[in-house]
Amino acid sequence: MVTNLIPLIETQDIVKKFGSFIALNGVSLKVYPGEVHALLGDNGAGKSTLIKALSGVHQPTSGKIIVEGKETKFNSPRDASEVGIGTVYQDLALNSLTSVTRNFFLGRELKFGKGPFGILKMNKMHGIAIEEMAKIGIKIEDPEQPVGTMSGGQRQTLAIARAIYFGAKVLILDEPTSALGQKQQMEVLKTIKKVQQLGNIAIILITHNEIHARLIADRYTFISLGEVIGSGTSKDLAGDDIRRLMAGGAEVGDLAKELA
Amino acid sequence: MNSSNSLRKESDRHKSKSSLISILSRPEIGPIGVMILLFGMLGYFSIPASETTWNPFAGEGFNALGIRNNLRVISQLGIIALGAGLLIIAGEFDLSIGSMIGFAGACMAMILRWGFSIIIPYVYFDDGAHIEFYTLLHISDVSPILAIFITLCFTLTFGWIQGFIIVRSGLPSFIVTLGGLFFLRGLTEVSLRSFNHRPDQAKGATTVTEIPDIKNIINLPGYGEMEREAAKYLPDGDLLSIVKNLPSDVIYKITERLEYTFQRVAEAKTNLLIAKGVKPLEKALENAVASDNEYMIKTIQEKIENFKIDPVIPKSVTEIDIARAYIDSIGTSRPIADFFGGNILEPIFDWLYFPIDWNVNNFGNQFAPGLYSCVMIWVILSLVCYIVLSKTQVGNWIYSTGGNLSAAQANGVPTNKVKISLFIFSAFCATLFATCQVFEVNTSDAAKGNLKELEAIAAAVIGGIVMTGGFGTVLGIIVGAFIFGLAKEAFFYIPGVDGSFYRVFLGFVIIASALLNENIRKRIMGNI
Ligand SMILES: Nc1ncnc2c1ncn2[C@@H]1O[C@H](COP(=O)(O)OP(=O)(O)O)[C@@H](O)[C@H]1O
Ligand SMILES: [Mg+2]
Repeated sequence: MVTNLIPLIETQDIVKKFGSFIALNGVSLKVYPGEVHALLGDNGAGKSTLIKALSGVHQPTSGKIIVEGKETKFNSPRDASEVGIGTVYQDLALNSLTSVTRNFFLGRELKFGKGPFGILKMNKMHGIAIEEMAKIGIKIEDPEQPVGTMSGGQRQTLAIARAIYFGAKVLILDEPTSALGQKQQMEVLKTIKKVQQLGNIAIILITHNEIHARLIADRYTFISLGEVIGSGTSKDLAGDDIRRLMAGGAEVGDLAKELA
Repeated sequence: MNSSNSLRKESDRHKSKSSLISILSRPEIGPIGVMILLFGMLGYFSIPASETTWNPFAGEGFNALGIRNNLRVISQLGIIALGAGLLIIAGEFDLSIGSMIGFAGACMAMILRWGFSIIIPYVYFDDGAHIEFYTLLHISDVSPILAIFITLCFTLTFGWIQGFIIVRSGLPSFIVTLGGLFFLRGLTEVSLRSFNHRPDQAKGATTVTEIPDIKNIINLPGYGEMEREAAKYLPDGDLLSIVKNLPSDVIYKITERLEYTFQRVAEAKTNLLIAKGVKPLEKALENAVASDNEYMIKTIQEKIENFKIDPVIPKSVTEIDIARAYIDSIGTSRPIADFFGGNILEPIFDWLYFPIDWNVNNFGNQFAPGLYSCVMIWVILSLVCYIVLSKTQVGNWIYSTGGNLSAAQANGVPTNKVKISLFIFSAFCATLFATCQVFEVNTSDAAKGNLKELEAIAAAVIGGIVMTGGFGTVLGIIVGAFIFGLAKEAFFYIPGVDGSFYRVFLGFVIIASALLNENIRKRIMGNI
């Protein structure tokens, strides 16, 4: 990976308060193109709050968000997606009852003519949907297949391919593997790897799973109680460090003693 | 391990389906089956008891008038089912459709009957405060298109208000449109009563009558505009002079057709007379057979065979007949009224009478003049809805708004606009229904459209629309309307069965369809 580049997206001292509750207390991180940046931390640490600030859902109380060297403010998710931040939430924002293609282009359909009554370019959209999903590793036979009949891994791929096709430079994945079976988790990891290999996209991956993080992450940031408690590249960190930091800094060794 | 290309992939688990299987697994296939069953019932049970034909299309249910009447019921329901169905696909409901029909019909009829005014009330202080009215605008002779337009302004606004309240408040559409149901019905009755409180109407009636037969206003050359019936009963002298001015080929055609009609009428009369004369003999024959009197049987049989009656002589065609037939053939001079309330396919139905000789009633006259216009309106509306729902961007928005609201919003679909537009569309469909009715029968009644909202929802459900939204097709809604309308007729024609059994049958079909729809939905959602 190339660390001499400028980060695609960077946060500096992000603070987010919900009333008197400090959800984030000065979080800084840098995410580079072609890198998988794992965001790790216990439940309630503030990971989701951080990515919601990055995707325009929440406005930070203070601190800066810098996209490609320019300071940026997001007033809505639309602002964020316009500068190329694509977020794939846990529910994936898919309509299970309609086809792959209709979901792929939902809200951004290709059509003949202007206005919402424009006739859909169905064949063209089928072609693009198949091609884009194939690029990150999933071959769809039938683009008319309802999304509900796809496997969880295929749905993740659909949501990711869609975000990339519509211009995401920063791809944010909130626990993409948590609801999946073993085999599908691997499928999703392979997909993420393929996106990483495209080289120009920065990926922020939130996960609880240390093994998954170790398989694909290039860089780590650990968050606990709203603060960064450690960070580094995969080379810098040993397995024990990762485990200790994921648990919020407590020694796993201590736990072993307590359980004994 | 084998070579990697022999590994099974996730996609291998989706069997590729043959085209027959994929047709059979379409959501409309169940409803289409029921529809064919009803067609069969309607045809089979309407075969007269004595005939032994196995052709189900030979029966009374399929005569020209039966088709005309059935298709009216079906298409009227079909029009509002489209509004209701699209709204359900987007995840909402409209219970105000029936009341909206009554309201729109009354509104249009009142405007056509008494004109349209905008009146501003204000408080006047001389000799004690009282309310005065200032008439800002009064149009006394409102054209059909303007009456429709004004009515649409009211109904579409009401649809918009309902939709706006629902998306803004987050209240269930059930409760808001239930309010609309009572509000509109009450408003209709109140306004009809107050407008009827006049010397020319029975006090307090909730109907509007005596609207001129607008669709039958014609422009009679030399006489100007008048109602067709009035023209046909002009003094004989006038009628004769009209014929004088007709080109000879027109006269020839009309005469040919009238001669045919008079011939058929005479034949029908002759047959009736024969039947009348033979009937007592047949009775006698039955008695004779019962008493086994061979001699009597033989004589009566001979009498029946030799029964003769002088055939009725056809009326000859007079110039007055020609004039009246010509007046019947003049096109309307109010095309809008005719578009909604008139007939369509008249040339075909004429042709089916002469020379095809099928569209004939028991008296030898033409049975049905054509189909009701609402059939055409339904066909046009269905086509538009089909294209919008399955071929346009809006269609995808409708499906996603009902299928997964938050997903649609996250992808930038203007879900509130989609919903409000569909509430407006539902009001539009109800107004179309009312327009067809008003221009067809030239009256209106506050009770019109009662319970139609439930019939529309039922038709949509029978046609495969899932009540929770996101799933269904226009073809399904069309088939649903067919089933609902046919069921009524099919049960009516079963001899010895109470016609109301159709409701029992429909109740069963509704629940069965809902179960089937839910099963299909779960299968697609991956829960089965
Ligand atoms: N909208 C909100 N209002 C108030 N508190 C919130 C809100 N969103 C999150 N929090 C709180 O902020 C903390 C961090 O939450 P979150 O970012 O979801 O954690 P994580 O994703 O790391 O599990 C939690 O204690 C949570 O209760
Ligand atoms: Mg979270």
